[in-house]
Amino acid sequence: MVEGSASSPAGVADQPPPEIVFRRRLHLVTAMKELWAARELVGTLTERNLRSRYKQTFLGFAWSLITPVTLMVVFTVFLRRVAHIETGGIPYPIFAYVGLLPWSFFSGAVSASSQVIVQNNALLNKIYCPREVFPISTVTSAAVDTACAMVALLVLFAVNGFMPTAGVVWVPMLTVVLVLFTVGVCLLLSALTVYVRDLRYGVTIILQLGLFATPVAYSLNTVVPKAWQPVYAACNPLGPVIQGFRDTVLVGDQPEYGLLGIAAVSSLVWVALGYVVFKRMETGFSDVA
Amino acid sequence: MLPDGSLRADRVWKRFRAERVPRTARGRYDAWSKRLATSRGSGRSYRWALRDVSFDVGPGEAVGLVGRNGSGKSTLLKILCRVMYQHAGEVDVRGRVGALIEVRAGIHPELTGRENVQLYGSLLGLSRRDVQSRFDDIIDFAEVSQAVDRQVKFYSSGMQMRLGFAVAAFLEPNVLLIDEVLAVGDASFQQKCLDRMRHVLSQGTTVVFVSHDLAAVESTCSRVLWLDDGILRQDGDSREVVGAYRRGVEEMAEVGFAADSEIRLVKAEVDGPGGAVPATDEPLEVRLRLESDVGGKGLLVVGISEGPASPIVMVSNQVVVEPRTPLDVRCAFERLPLAGGRYYLWVGVFQRNRDLLPWHPAASFEVFGPGLDKAPSAIVRLGPVAAKTIWEVT
Repeated sequence: MVEGSASSPAGVADQPPPEIVFRRRLHLVTAMKELWAARELVGTLTERNLRSRYKQTFLGFAWSLITPVTLMVVFTVFLRRVAHIETGGIPYPIFAYVGLLPWSFFSGAVSASSQVIVQNNALLNKIYCPREVFPISTVTSAAVDTACAMVALLVLFAVNGFMPTAGVVWVPMLTVVLVLFTVGVCLLLSALTVYVRDLRYGVTIILQLGLFATPVAYSLNTVVPKAWQPVYAACNPLGPVIQGFRDTVLVGDQPEYGLLGIAAVSSLVWVALGYVVFKRMETGFSDVA
Repeated sequence: MLPDGSLRADRVWKRFRAERVPRTARGRYDAWSKRLATSRGSGRSYRWALRDVSFDVGPGEAVGLVGRNGSGKSTLLKILCRVMYQHAGEVDVRGRVGALIEVRAGIHPELTGRENVQLYGSLLGLSRRDVQSRFDDIIDFAEVSQAVDRQVKFYSSGMQMRLGFAVAAFLEPNVLLIDEVLAVGDASFQQKCLDRMRHVLSQGTTVVFVSHDLAAVESTCSRVLWLDDGILRQDGDSREVVGAYRRGVEEMAEVGFAADSEIRLVKAEVDGPGGAVPATDEPLEVRLRLESDVGGKGLLVVGISEGPASPIVMVSNQVVVEPRTPLDVRCAFERLPLAGGRYYLWVGVFQRNRDLLPWHPAASFEVFGPGLDKAPSAIVRLGPVAAKTIWEVT
């Protein structure tokens, strides 16, 4: 069999015939099944992320609270001194914190995802698993952090004697849009950073700008003119989502369906784009990372 | 549809960038601007790590993978466990794949031993319950019961390796891919690993085993693939292929006389009784002639091996070589304790901290005699030493 060709290794061609060159084909159903089978792995990776992050620290999980609370204090003390911010009668710390929670979820997941493939290259080079579990696990880790940070919101409610309205029923729907957008950005970014390492540093700056380009410290309506709001919603779905959280939970209104719809569609596009790009680039990860 | 535990590689090719430019944007930009600066380049150059490799492995088969450094063994393993993607061809691996690719496979330094076992289990697709039920066996085997709750970065390298092997071998994958595990670990643990590999084999797990320890490959695997510079040179019965590989390696080492040394070897002859061909349990005579321009005094060492530099038999004697006077040395073995086969005569002259004549193969010769008894797979025989025995079974 092979023995025959053994005597003449020169008989092997210099190039593989083009018809057998490997092309990655994406089977959505198979890929989704595989991802579903790896759900426990996402859990383990999340646990690992959180444990290894807070291991050897004194404050441990308190750190997930400290970042948004500090920002909230900074906004309350300084930002309000220089500009009057229209909150619609809501105590400003609560107003800011309701914006900061989705924002810190998004920025936490995105900044971690930019490094996740490179950081895990030891694992990636040894064991097979659907690669998207790594960026997804950064999203779930950020979700756990955000859940911890919610404690501070409850404290704020209690201190200010403020009660959330019945609008909380909208929270799950708004969260879905938020998570979709975050997952899309994380998938795209984690794959791109493997090839363009500069992104790792670029992301830090973009996130800092994003904090002010998103209605976290202020309200959407006071800064973006009505006519431009649909365009804004398409570019930055976080805006309508944060505005939606405030409108429903704090004010008790319904969210602005038009803007939220645009944000939802935009988020779906991000997820689809992120997934396809990620799967395309996946084949080269272990050659580079 | 192939059954679980089978592997198939069909015309697999894999290439890497030859100039080691990373495929990152920065690397591409640098390479591109350089090419513009020099001339109309010949385009990208690639180094082929694997060329047209095809083979099939059935469930429960034990396959060894041998080849020199850089011949593509690890790349092939990585492609088999789907960590890397081939450039061309098809790979089909059925069932759960457990891989121990680098020594610390699957071991995350920041987590404790316990968490690592859990993580690796999830990566293999096992549920927490499945991992839990094997946990004690794994810890016992790896001999780390004192340290399960310690972070793995504080483990010794031997402990990390043992844990890695234990996890890969006890989580009962359908296919077990092992790369050079036996490099770390003491002798008794190596033996334990080989025993464990035989055990998983007997349970129907397919094992692909990469090692430079040819004796271990021969004793564990029934079939061996020999990769040479990315090409599958030979695929067949392990004794046959390992033998061919050994001879191939020696061709590289090249039998001959070292030239630029203080003492030169100008003649090396090996004869059996009365100038005949050497034979098992018969006398053997080695005749050497040494020369030197400056003269020298040292320990003359003569060894016999199957090819590698570690001899099976080694004898030595003090010699003094006068300047420009050839020195003839005759070394007679009363009885040659080696089984039939091909052997190599290694010669060197050594002072305390200096090699007057470097250790090198000086001649090869054939020994006539009976072959050895076939060793059962549980036993790794180190050298082909023949022993005359009288059995009484009552």
